[in-house]
Amino acid sequence: MDVTLAQAALPREISLSEFLFSAELWTRDDGILDTLVDTAVLCGAVVLAATLVAVPLAAYLAHHGRGEIAVTWMVTLSRAVPTLAVAALLVPVSLRIGLGFEPWPIFIALLLLALPQIYINTYAAIRGADRGVVGAARGMGLTESAVLWRVEAALAGAVIMTSIRVAAVQVIATEPLRAFLGGDGLGRYVRDGLGQNSPSQIVGGTILIGLFAASTALAFRGAERLALPRGVTRLSSNAT
Amino acid sequence: MIPVLAQSAQPFFRWSYLIDEWDQIQAALLQHLQLTVLSVAAGLVLSAMLAATALRYRWTTTPITSFTGILYTLPSVALFALLAPVFGTQAVATAVIPLTMFTLLILVTNIIAGFQSVPGPVKDAANGMGLTPTARVLTVELPLASPLILAGIRIATVSTIGLVTVAGIIGQGGLGRLIFDGLNRRFDTPTIIGAVFSILLALLMDALLLAASRAATPWTRRARA
Repeated sequence: MDVTLAQAALPREISLSEFLFSAELWTRDDGILDTLVDTAVLCGAVVLAATLVAVPLAAYLAHHGRGEIAVTWMVTLSRAVPTLAVAALLVPVSLRIGLGFEPWPIFIALLLLALPQIYINTYAAIRGADRGVVGAARGMGLTESAVLWRVEAALAGAVIMTSIRVAAVQVIATEPLRAFLGGDGLGRYVRDGLGQNSPSQIVGGTILIGLFAASTALAFRGAERLALPRGVTRLSSNAT
Repeated sequence: MIPVLAQSAQPFFRWSYLIDEWDQIQAALLQHLQLTVLSVAAGLVLSAMLAATALRYRWTTTPITSFTGILYTLPSVALFALLAPVFGTQAVATAVIPLTMFTLLILVTNIIAGFQSVPGPVKDAANGMGLTPTARVLTVELPLASPLILAGIRIATVSTIGLVTVAGIIGQGGLGRLIFDGLNRRFDTPTIIGAVFSILLALLMDALLLAASRAATPWTRRARA
């Protein structure tokens, strides 16, 4: 597509092991490592932004039992609005206002993918926090904000963190679209492989995306274990 | 074809394109619908078998649901690209196989939930009336499970319409092809048409299928009222 991309393209007849295990390909400028970091930064920014907006907003509204209708909108939004269509629609807009192909179109599209799920799950989890426990916390004289952040949020923590993990994995699985929208990221190997008819690049790129998604999921699971209060973990493991 | 214009001279949306290229848009819409229907139909057949296995042999439920869950997290772009060298970029299978895989999670989950929502006493009553197991499943359990199954079909259809556009990377994908055609030519109109039409198609199908499933299961509305 671009001159810069053509320069970085790999030879067509590269083998899969060469692609995955060549130190030079990993460490060179704009190599696999740089591409991985590039992808990680974008995905991390999307998930972080989605979490920072969705969790406090959903928690606050759920605590006060407001905005039930917004959840219904979010459900429709998350299902009916396709990531590619949103990103593709934003590309001409972004070009016109001088922001270029990247990263805003794909960032906003991925945000629309991640945010509704985290919002819906946070809302449901806070609403679903054991009323007895919440009542007891009020009875003990906790302020309303302490009830929300120290009791309801703690009880809902497992569900919220799971929804962030699921959203993160989906963002990573969808981010390769970016390579087909004038950007780069790990999807570039899939794109170049498709363009050059080089299956080893497609397979290699897919393996990289899969490994990145799997290790992100594992890291989140580890973080869930560390971050959740032991009592909550015990509660949820008893429940299942 | 339309000459590629300089970016600055190009209007954001060229209305005449809608009329001039209507044949192409219509063909794209048709292919979009075909891929969607094929994928959801194939997904429904596979899901019915998987859900039946899960319901019949309880221990298979967790492996089946986690398997479909993993399928759902696979990157769509990579699946289309992986199958392209196998079947060829223009083969229907290259587009339909990944799309079918993505429908399984929603369909299997909803079919299982639908049949599990049938109250035990209802099944007992059906048995007591002397229905054979097959007759009980088809005439008693299936209708009672149908609201959740229909909801699953609706969600799967709507999300498939969105995913079909991704098949544009291999030159298929109905409206997705318009999207990429426009991006590659730096000509915004087809991109906008492809994106807007696919969103509208998703919303339209959502409304249609919702109306159809309400009509098919009138008791769900009566119960709510």
